[in-house]
Amino acid sequence: MSEQRGVLAEGARRVWRYQRALWWWFTVNFVLAMFSAMPLSLRLEKVAGHSAHTASLGVGFDMGAFLELSANPDAAFWSGTTGSALLALIFLVFSMFLTGGVLEAYRSPHKLTTGEFFHVCGEFFWRWVRLLIFLLIVITPICFLAYYISDWSGTLSDDAPQEKLGFWVDFAGFFLVLFLMMTVRVWFDIAQVRSIATGERAMRRTLVRAARLVFGNFASLFWLYFRISFLAWLGLAVTLWIWVKIPGEHSGLSALLLEVLLLWWIGTRLWQRASETVWFQRYADVAVITPEPAPLPEPELEPAGVPPSAG
Amino acid sequence: MRWFWPLTILPLVATLPCRAQAPAVFASNAKPPFSDRVVNYQIDATLDVSRKTLDGVETLTYRNLTGKPQDTFPFHLYLNAFQPKATFMREVRRDHPSFEWKEKNRASADVVMFEAEGMGDLTNQIQFISPDDANADDRTVFQVKLPEPVPPGQSVQFKIGFRDHFGEVFARTGYKRDFIMGAQWFPKVGVWWQGAWNCHQFHADTEFFADFGTFDVRLTVPQNEVVGASGVEVSSVNHANGTKSLTFHGEDIHDFAWTVEPEFHVFEDYFDGSAGKVKIRLLMQPGHVDQAARHMRIMMETMKRFDEWYGPYPYAQITVVDPPHGALRAGGMEYPTLITADTAWWMPEGLRFVEVVTEHEFGHQYWYGMVATNEFEDAWLDEGINSYTEAKVLDDIFGKDKSVLDLWGATIGEDALQRDGYLGSAEDDPMTRFAYQYMNSSSYGNITYGKTATVLLTLEKIVGEDTMRRALHTYFMRYRFAHPAKEDFLKTLEEVSGKNLRWYFDQAVYGTNILDYEILRASSDRTDWYLKKPPEEKKGVTPYHTMVLVHRKGDFIFPVDVVVKFDDGETLREQWDGRDRWVRYSYDKKAKLVSAELDPEHAVWLDKNFFNNSCMKEQSSGWRMKLAAYWQIVAQFVAQWLAWLA
Repeated sequence: MSEQRGVLAEGARRVWRYQRALWWWFTVNFVLAMFSAMPLSLRLEKVAGHSAHTASLGVGFDMGAFLELSANPDAAFWSGTTGSALLALIFLVFSMFLTGGVLEAYRSPHKLTTGEFFHVCGEFFWRWVRLLIFLLIVITPICFLAYYISDWSGTLSDDAPQEKLGFWVDFAGFFLVLFLMMTVRVWFDIAQVRSIATGERAMRRTLVRAARLVFGNFASLFWLYFRISFLAWLGLAVTLWIWVKIPGEHSGLSALLLEVLLLWWIGTRLWQRASETVWFQRYADVAVITPEPAPLPEPELEPAGVPPSAG
Repeated sequence: MRWFWPLTILPLVATLPCRAQAPAVFASNAKPPFSDRVVNYQIDATLDVSRKTLDGVETLTYRNLTGKPQDTFPFHLYLNAFQPKATFMREVRRDHPSFEWKEKNRASADVVMFEAEGMGDLTNQIQFISPDDANADDRTVFQVKLPEPVPPGQSVQFKIGFRDHFGEVFARTGYKRDFIMGAQWFPKVGVWWQGAWNCHQFHADTEFFADFGTFDVRLTVPQNEVVGASGVEVSSVNHANGTKSLTFHGEDIHDFAWTVEPEFHVFEDYFDGSAGKVKIRLLMQPGHVDQAARHMRIMMETMKRFDEWYGPYPYAQITVVDPPHGALRAGGMEYPTLITADTAWWMPEGLRFVEVVTEHEFGHQYWYGMVATNEFEDAWLDEGINSYTEAKVLDDIFGKDKSVLDLWGATIGEDALQRDGYLGSAEDDPMTRFAYQYMNSSSYGNITYGKTATVLLTLEKIVGEDTMRRALHTYFMRYRFAHPAKEDFLKTLEEVSGKNLRWYFDQAVYGTNILDYEILRASSDRTDWYLKKPPEEKKGVTPYHTMVLVHRKGDFIFPVDVVVKFDDGETLREQWDGRDRWVRYSYDKKAKLVSAELDPEHAVWLDKNFFNNSCMKEQSSGWRMKLAAYWQIVAQFVAQWLAWLA
């Protein structure tokens, strides 16, 4: 346990030491989302910028006014959905690009130069694309399982004699799916960490070896990942608890609070990455990277006539 | 199958004397009879809860008050709507193309014997008709031609043997596990109305219409069943075979519904109204017992307001049924002296779904139950008026802006919710469309409920809220236990208000015109604008020419108020009859415009767009930043979730 705590603490230390990644990640996330929100803001200004009826939206959240506004064809409220989805995809690509550099930064004992950082980013990008394809293949059955559980729980909610049975099945199903998803993520995370450490290009082989590693050390690795995830969810719960208590007119404070939460979520994800790197370095690096056999020392030729020891 | 009815009717007759000591049908101060009592139904029915079937014998005595001899009588067999070729299902499929038929929803009602007193067996005379759409596969209406007519003022007695097969609840009636809702379950005679028989087929978007009368219903069920029904229970007899027969009696009602389930938890309380004490009998699901107080509270509060505002509830009892999970389609429904509510185990207090549904269904005791309008043809008269009174009652109880939702900072009131429904189909249909002739089910719902409520809320601006309340009181007292039509209601509004409202009704009730006024432009310009070097602006000194341009965007003409505010604190109120397409107001003052606003009290609920009703010189950006910020945060969250794949 203490060793585990050491891994988490060391992971946190590396995230802190390499804060730039956190802030970059958050900034890009923020800016991309801003691009999706700005057109909406401009449209709303055009439709109701001078309207007194908007007062009820500023104080509290008047669903009646909101529904009317969102149904207004000039506001085209939901038209930004496609744009937002596209920007989310861009963020995914950005994240994939940055992952290599960040993992290397967490691994490396020395501070990477910008050139080194982006070199690793570029070097590993297409490997991550291949890993993403494998990931999608792996999680597809889990998605089907989630759909099936949801469908089943819906049927139970209607048909089972116990009214809450459907809910509990949904509840249990959620945790089952969450567990499977986390397991897959840990596996692929370790595959990425391993790939960075070994420079391995073959992603299928990396995945197989990472699987052996993960399932050979499943408890400690899952526990490592789970605890940080739990803190992320706890942060979400606490933030929402505070958020509903903030008076509606203090929307700036509400937004700030939610942005802190988003920063926390990125931070916890990077913390997972860093901790997995630490774990790998401590417990797997030696096993994986077989060091080159040390060159045998050159036999020293004793000069003729010189005594073996000088004395 | 005809053999069984003489046997089963005997116990019913045997129980009739019990009624002498039985609970009263009406509250103590009520003075029946209230209606013409055109029909008298005596029904003896045995329920097989395992097969979900019911065998019944109905003795219907019909008084011919039509003023002419009648030899043809139409009857409803509503349960036959739950068959794939029925008009009801056709229309469901038409409006919901992804709808798939499930055999478990199949239901049927078969008439196995039909006799008319003194005319013999007429079972062979039964003929299914489809007066609305000529669908030969629809078996929801049949008619029987008698060998000889029933003279005016005389009565005829029909004896009808029937067998019901309940399907799993699809709409209003049927079973779910041990729960059975017995609604529209017996052959019901049509209504002679406006000089003709009115007996429509059962459609996806129609409800019901029937004559007032008395009901004596004996229901035989297993002894473990808890039973709720219209009317009051007058006797209960246990049989050796493990069944029991419960007899219910109702007067001055036009339908009869019942429900059985062994698991019902019964709660009772009394409302003390102007007609006397009324028993509220609440049948709750075991998992919803913690919400019983919530149901009872809203019943009490609603009954109090209806009693004070519109008139007395004269019956001695009202039964509220909480359907089980999976049977919500049996919920939110009204029958005389029995209503079904709707809830779920997780329903938070701030989401007032329980209150909205329970209030609404009780309201139907007035607008449908007693003022028995034709729900096939004038659905707005019951659903719409009821939605309006729902808004008035709930707003009064919970506050105007949060009478439906007050949860986690989000709020919405009934008025806004009804208007939101109207906005969804504003131009599709007039309110006066027959219920089964609307464009689709959305339009039916949005117009019948939402638009009617919005039209009546807007009418308050013209006649005043108190006048509206008095008008509804007059309408209720005048037409209770009768079948008024649309003009009866509209003329009552005119009579009580003392105003000619035809201009409004033509547009709002009979038309589909859109009401949308806007402040097209509002600005202040210096009167010395032409000077190349005008003096520095000084508040209270510099003269301005202010112009406010008001525009009628829609074709609906309605008088509107315009409030213009200046920066010296002066407020001017203009009244425009709204007839022209636009009007311009001009002012020369030593003050600048602050704002121009149409209908600042938001009394014109019919206005399609509240956002263009005002123009403030100072932009307010807080709300916009707030919405944009929330959009952004959601977008960030979504992006982060997606990036989890990286």
